[in-house]
Amino acid sequence: MDILLQLTFAGIGMGSIYALVALGLVLIYRATSVVNFAQGDFAMFAAFLMVLAHLHLGLPYWASFLVALAGMVAFGLIFNYGVYYPLRNRSYLPVLISTLGASIVIQNSVLAAYGPHPANLPGALSFQGFQVGSVFLDGQYLVIIAATAALVLLQHLFFEKTIVGKQLQATSQDKEMASLLGVPVKIMIAITFIYSAVLGGVAGVLVGPIIYVSIGMGGAIALKAFAATIIGGFGDIKGAIIGGVVLGIIETFGAAFISVPYKDAFAFIVLFAFLMVRPQGIFGEKIAEKA
Amino acid sequence: MPSFLSVWLGRIGRELPLLLGGLAAVVLVLSVPMSGYATNIVMQATTYAVAVLGLTIVLGYAGQITLAQAAFFGIGAYAVAIGTVSLGLSFWGGLLLAMAASTVAGAVLGITSLRLGGHYLAMITIVFQQILSLVLTNWIEVSHGPDGIPGIPRPSLFGYTLSGSAGYLVFSIVCLTAVLIFVRILKHTRLGRSMEAVRDNELAASVAGVNTYRVKVVAFTLSALLGGIGGALFASGFSYVSPDQFSLAESIVFLTMALLGGAGSALGTAVGTVLLVLLPESLRFLKEIYMAVYGLSVILIMIFMPEGIAGFARRLTRRLRTPAVRPHHAPALHLHTVTSDHRDEPLLVVRGLAKHFGGLRALNNVDLAVRRNNIHALIGPNGSGKTTLVNVLSGIYKPTAGKIAFADEDVTGAAPHVLAGLGLSRTFQNIRLFRSMSCLENVMVGAQRPGNDLSDVHRDLVARSLAALHFVGMGDRADDSVANLSYGHQRMVEIARALAANPKLLLLDEPAAGLNLTEKQELVALLLRMKGLGLTILIIEHDMPLVEQVADSITVLNFGERISDGQPEAVLRDPAVISAYLGEGRAYAVA
Amino acid sequence: MRYAFTTTVLSALGAIMIVGAAHAADPIRIGMIAPITGGAAESGRNQINGAQMAADEVNAAGGVLGRKIELVIEDDQTTNPGAVLAFSKLTSDANNVAFIAPVRSTQVHAIAPDVLRNGKPVLFGGTDPRLTQLNNPWFFRFRPNDAISTKAMAEFGIKDLGKKKWAIIHTTDAFGASNVKLLTEALKEQGITPTLVQGFTSNSQDFTPIVLAVKQSGADIVASFTVQDTDQGVLAKQFRQFGVDAAWIGSPTIVATTTLKLAGPALYGTYALADYNPDSSPEATTFSENYRKRFNVQADFFSAWTYDAVKVAAVAIKNAGSTEPKALREALLAIKDVPGAEGPYSFNANGDGLHGYNVVRNQDGAIVFVKRVETVR
Repeated sequence: MDILLQLTFAGIGMGSIYALVALGLVLIYRATSVVNFAQGDFAMFAAFLMVLAHLHLGLPYWASFLVALAGMVAFGLIFNYGVYYPLRNRSYLPVLISTLGASIVIQNSVLAAYGPHPANLPGALSFQGFQVGSVFLDGQYLVIIAATAALVLLQHLFFEKTIVGKQLQATSQDKEMASLLGVPVKIMIAITFIYSAVLGGVAGVLVGPIIYVSIGMGGAIALKAFAATIIGGFGDIKGAIIGGVVLGIIETFGAAFISVPYKDAFAFIVLFAFLMVRPQGIFGEKIAEKA
Repeated sequence: MPSFLSVWLGRIGRELPLLLGGLAAVVLVLSVPMSGYATNIVMQATTYAVAVLGLTIVLGYAGQITLAQAAFFGIGAYAVAIGTVSLGLSFWGGLLLAMAASTVAGAVLGITSLRLGGHYLAMITIVFQQILSLVLTNWIEVSHGPDGIPGIPRPSLFGYTLSGSAGYLVFSIVCLTAVLIFVRILKHTRLGRSMEAVRDNELAASVAGVNTYRVKVVAFTLSALLGGIGGALFASGFSYVSPDQFSLAESIVFLTMALLGGAGSALGTAVGTVLLVLLPESLRFLKEIYMAVYGLSVILIMIFMPEGIAGFARRLTRRLRTPAVRPHHAPALHLHTVTSDHRDEPLLVVRGLAKHFGGLRALNNVDLAVRRNNIHALIGPNGSGKTTLVNVLSGIYKPTAGKIAFADEDVTGAAPHVLAGLGLSRTFQNIRLFRSMSCLENVMVGAQRPGNDLSDVHRDLVARSLAALHFVGMGDRADDSVANLSYGHQRMVEIARALAANPKLLLLDEPAAGLNLTEKQELVALLLRMKGLGLTILIIEHDMPLVEQVADSITVLNFGERISDGQPEAVLRDPAVISAYLGEGRAYAVA
Repeated sequence: MRYAFTTTVLSALGAIMIVGAAHAADPIRIGMIAPITGGAAESGRNQINGAQMAADEVNAAGGVLGRKIELVIEDDQTTNPGAVLAFSKLTSDANNVAFIAPVRSTQVHAIAPDVLRNGKPVLFGGTDPRLTQLNNPWFFRFRPNDAISTKAMAEFGIKDLGKKKWAIIHTTDAFGASNVKLLTEALKEQGITPTLVQGFTSNSQDFTPIVLAVKQSGADIVASFTVQDTDQGVLAKQFRQFGVDAAWIGSPTIVATTTLKLAGPALYGTYALADYNPDSSPEATTFSENYRKRFNVQADFFSAWTYDAVKVAAVAIKNAGSTEPKALREALLAIKDVPGAEGPYSFNANGDGLHGYNVVRNQDGAIVFVKRVETVR
């Protein structure tokens, strides 16, 4: 029983990481109908900014955090205008490829600038975790779970209660209509990219202490995050969160009871099954009949 | 002679420059001594190109994305490796195994995943790619695990072993040239046209008689097969395979190669492959940042060369090309004619038809009978369900209730391409043409519907299509791209596409929309001429004067129900019809 | 014109192939394949540092045969095809007299056919025992192979630590898979069957299932074979979190510089089989000190073996009196008891140069030399 609890905690922990990255993915998808294949690298980039500010420049943790987020604002803006904007009127395919190219650029630029060494980023809080009975609750996982929950809540409030949030929603639902209603669509999309970059950045800074900060840290997570968004229903925020957690639990239990080396396969087999049986995901609308 | 053979034989002559190019490459390889490095690069480019040409088919022609081409490449490579090293087969045995394995894998993945498109397909193929990588790494008994399989032999041909680098390179170049020609000719076959039709407009393709799902699966499978062949050549060429050679990263590289060259062009794809094999190599001097530069080039290509190198070259050479000259005399359009004893018998009979979308009842209890060689008009105010009815009749929507009989056959719920095969053709209110194809190619997609009365010869297909274009007055524009045509001309091409299919029943959805007065008069004449050919036409139209000029009978819909039916004079005087139109506030004076 | 692309490309390649003639005063060129980009880029830098330092030392002492040694480095992108291309690029220059091949066995396997065709000595660091059993006369190994390390591991664990219940954790790549087999055999010789053998795919972010399985198995010693420093770090952290207190003996990654930095206290008290340790010999100490002076980081086995490879190659070239491949090969095979940072080199007929392993212990973050286990060669 303890083992099951411990595994569940680990699954939820990893799942929250997937969910956090998936959140940024969904936002961009809703605003632009583009799947951003560089979303994982957003996390990586921010984590390295944090390492730079905190470990190398010696800034205090929270100051470094702000520096990293400020960096991500600029990063999101550059990404919007460099990778998405010139291709905005084309089909999804060139944009998709463009984000793949961006992923290569980001990873290798960091490699060239920082070097290949992974870094050990300390957590936001100094405590290591709790021992509850024979179950150990890792402190940083708890922070991630809490942060994910807080961000979802914040996001909900932002979208539902603020004007900018409502304009963003309008943009993501129907660009032309939003434009007719006087919503500055271009700016809204830029904001979406900035916001996604910041979200990805938060994910990177939070995940860093668990899996260390390395060039490849984002790639593996991003792929699972994609899977999570599809399982949850593409474009659905609560779906992405639940999809992420479901995925984390499935792969942890699959690894524990079936096979460790095939751990990644479980996530993908579940995804495959979903695409076959229920491609719209848990919360998605049924894919509309074409006319 | 079957059609495909005549196409292939006819086209092969045009590929002479390519054959000569291949020959030149062979001569060059045999005469210039190459270092091992150069040999490896050329070998890599050649074998990759075979696999990337698969993407020309699936992505370029059929418009479906795949991020698993490296997986099929790997399946082919591993089939040869396992076949020769573990099972003791010859290279040729391994090659057959590779072709079989990649074909089966491609077909299975295609059949299960191609009902979804776009991002979903991208994800499924990524998943397949990842699972294959895991299996290759962990199924050690079969794949030899991460160590890979060394010592893969090279083939011998006619008693001559190709173990030397130059000999094997020649063999690879011959294979590539053959595949290149195959892919180029494929574009001009029925199958190739169907693929492009699916890419340009899936819905229009299906009502023109293309089984879109099957065409996509075939494209995907062919692509997998070429991936497998490329992999087989690669494995034997480098005599070593390991799982990391067939990762997602490689699939992305393959995709980029196709896009760089221009996915729709086989030759462009080959050029793109060679460039991207050379690019990282020539950027090696950049050391640490060369992968970053590579990634940046990918983005820049996407932004500045949307159609790849091929599109760029096309723009450059456009001015130099002279348009092909088409014969100006109009070949007569021969369609089946209705013998007089069948005239006025019902061709299409609809009973109690209903279509509900959730709570919305778009159609309810509609009866309709269209008689042979009649022009039957379907009218009604906006939102009365006319277009829904045509969509149900052409198989795009499945009816909620009711029966449809076409030529005495129950066709309720049949798929669009099945109905097209039975002789039901249609046009759309918002024109749906295959935008990247020429007028002639558009019409040929219609003419090649299954069950058409044409012989299997390519020449007949072209002749019928030209005749149909001439019939609608577009004969001299046959080789123009439809994207450059005016609205009215696009309509005519769409009608010609339906006409070339020699339909028993032609459904026209508001053909006069957007036409000026002269064009409308021409349309009336065209409709009457088509009737003269013996055709049966069901037309939706708002333009009452036009309807009055052509209709033999009229059915009126309002709020999804039939409110009147019969001879034009009677129907147009029907008080229910008048109130339906006036009630809607339309200032139309019923004659 | 549209069909001329093949021609253009091929003639461009022709230009690459033109090779300048060598002059007598030219340096002696040694080609080196190293991961500059990709997953192992970090170790690549260390390998290049080690080799460069050796070359500089040789050159400072007057070079070999009156010529300087020069390294020609190509990136293998941490992939097998990358290694194949890098090697063929290096071999296309006839001035390269010998080659330093990757440290990853799977990459060495990948270039093996080309090595045979090329016919010049290749000095490599991959530790898969089969590499020197391919009947390839041009392979020379500058690290002890895994058969030696696993034997030493079993012996130390059973005899010195007195542990009988073994749990083995390994990556499912070539390195891990072959080591598990070898260690299981070595344990069997001592009459022991491991209680748990658990593989994982590199770059796993969470090891909870593995750590729980180890805990449940009741093992009193854990042997681990990992490649990625991040994997090793996460594994260590989770072992401690879940209170696994078995003895732990690991492959060299467990004492790699970055791993120590990442894992910190989580790895205190663990043992490692290390082919390189600064305290194992005077040569090792000198190397360590000079390396730190020059690069300001701790030397590790990545830098040590390439350092030795260049040094020993210089000795062999001097002994051979020429850079002619056959003579160089004979001279390398004749190397006996030449001290290096990794240990004394004596090549056997297979091309294995080292035959001993160091056992080290992580003493509160410092790597302490415990003993050297020499096996019969």
